[in-house]
Amino acid sequence: MTHDHPPGSLGEIAPADAGGGPSPLLELDRVSRIYGTGEAMVTALDAVSLRIMPGDFLSIMGPSGSGKSTMLGLLGCLDLPTTGTIRVGGHEVTAMGDAERSWVRGREIGFVFQQFHLIPHLDARGNVETALLYRGLKVRQRREMALAALDRVGLAHRHDHRPVQLSGGEQQRVALARALVTEPKILLGDEPTGALDSKNAENVMSIFASLQSPERAVVLVTHDPSVGEAASRRVRMRDGAIVADEVVEREMAR
Amino acid sequence: MKRLRELVGVALTGLFARKVRTALLLLGPTIGVAAIIAAVGLTDSAKGDLKRKVAELGTNLIEASAASAFGSQDPVLPEDAVERARTVTTVDSVSAVLELSNIVVTPYEEASEKFETVPVPVLAADVLLPGVLEVPLVSGRWLNDFDEQIGTRGAVIGIGLAREFEYLPGEVRSIVLNGHDYAVVGVLSAVELEPAFDNAVFISFQAADEDFVAADVMPNKLYVRAQDGTEDETAEALKVAVGLGGPTEVQTELKSEALELASQSDRQLQLIVVSMGLLAIIVGGIGIANVMSISVIQRSSEIGIRRALGHTRGTIALQFIFEAIVVGVLGGILGVGLGVLSIGVGVAIAGWVFTLQPVLVPAGIVLAVVISVLAGMYPAVRAARLEPLETLRLG
Repeated sequence: MTHDHPPGSLGEIAPADAGGGPSPLLELDRVSRIYGTGEAMVTALDAVSLRIMPGDFLSIMGPSGSGKSTMLGLLGCLDLPTTGTIRVGGHEVTAMGDAERSWVRGREIGFVFQQFHLIPHLDARGNVETALLYRGLKVRQRREMALAALDRVGLAHRHDHRPVQLSGGEQQRVALARALVTEPKILLGDEPTGALDSKNAENVMSIFASLQSPERAVVLVTHDPSVGEAASRRVRMRDGAIVADEVVEREMAR
Repeated sequence: MKRLRELVGVALTGLFARKVRTALLLLGPTIGVAAIIAAVGLTDSAKGDLKRKVAELGTNLIEASAASAFGSQDPVLPEDAVERARTVTTVDSVSAVLELSNIVVTPYEEASEKFETVPVPVLAADVLLPGVLEVPLVSGRWLNDFDEQIGTRGAVIGIGLAREFEYLPGEVRSIVLNGHDYAVVGVLSAVELEPAFDNAVFISFQAADEDFVAADVMPNKLYVRAQDGTEDETAEALKVAVGLGGPTEVQTELKSEALELASQSDRQLQLIVVSMGLLAIIVGGIGIANVMSISVIQRSSEIGIRRALGHTRGTIALQFIFEAIVVGVLGGILGVGLGVLSIGVGVAIAGWVFTLQPVLVPAGIVLAVVISVLAGMYPAVRAARLEPLETLRLG
């Protein structure tokens, strides 16, 4: 994890409480998310608490309707809870405005989606560079960082290909490069292998596993047991609540 | 600065990636600006030759003539009218003439019957007249001091009369004024500001005194060049300076006034076509709002991912505003180009003089940008308000 940050560009949020053991990267504290009102009211998440620690390789599993997508939106600071607080690096995201929250999202969290969500008119490098925009970086810095990230997923040689020219597995690797180029503390995957064949899925999963580090957490939201069981910490959800949160020995997980 | 360049870069790649859509966006501002430029330019160009003529001839030639007081016939100015006029400090140059009456001009004696019916104006003029009028001679020379002192029977004729009399340049020829033979010593070029001079005969005051005027010969009209920009004050001052204490009143006239009036573009026509151009650019703006709104829906996934990557609502809105600015600038430039081309084609077909107020070029581009940005605001706000969670369809 030795990447040269330009001064002040990819600043990290300092932990709020420095004393005593590692502090959580991301913390949900009695978080509820309720959609709609009155008769149509749906409680998607019901007073859920979860602490994601540095070094976690965590999977969130559960059947559809269990609240995992809602959970993902909240973990990624894309959504706000109805009640409860969310802290990223000790800072209360639920008290922030859009600009601050976007800032936290852009610096602390990297997303990988099932549908890749690459921008179709940009080539692979352009897609990765999109994550580096508006940070005061020089064009050349941006370009070099994007190429380095593509190299880490083994796609440096295809940097000038557009998404339509890439296979599904390659597109997802570009998305991975885009997620990791900002060196986020939390890598969030939403069914990252859902649209891939088993060989590509394996490839992507091994990249995810390699990205886990003592400073970083990898969080995968999935209903696929083979993905979920690759993780060392497994959270199971049902009906908007966490029903299990178990840590499995690394050797066993492999 | 970097942020600005990044926004422009994102806008340009976004626009360049969707060429058909961008072409549709450009259509509105391009046609609108082209219509306005062409409308103003063509209506101006239609009068372009007159405008150029006014500029060429100058607007500072004043005619000061004796107005008849108490109905007296043939009013004249004081003998020292030229000296009096020169006392006005804003006067550059002065020349005096006397319009003579009851003189029959014929090319030769035998033709008198034919030419009696068409009177030819005969004027006594001083040596300065061509200089004040700023009109050269086609051939020969103007009346000189010698003519003035001796009263030689020499005459300068206008270019129209020269044609009518079939006078050849350099030909030794005389014309007959009331039976007196006058040698043609020169031909005066066309006098645009005083077209009557084209068919006139000019002789010296001394000759007029000897041959045609019973009383003392005195001028009845002055031609005065005023310093630029002082035309109106000079005209007023001349009335007093020349007329003071004299028996007649002096009236003044700016010789270019009629020509200037004729060179004015048809304001109403211009207003109508410019309104239509404005209408076109407003409709174009609505088109931009439309196409960009659809584009926001089509690009909702792109917007969602940009938000997930940390771009703020404001940045997303700015991205669309910058696309609108680029569309406005490009559309404005294309519109100005197309407008200038239309004027060029129109001018070539109609044989006008190309006229375009330079200020219209930046004005057209600014108008296109303003309309485009106004039109882009609604889609930009819509894009900013999109919820990333809704557009990303999480698994």
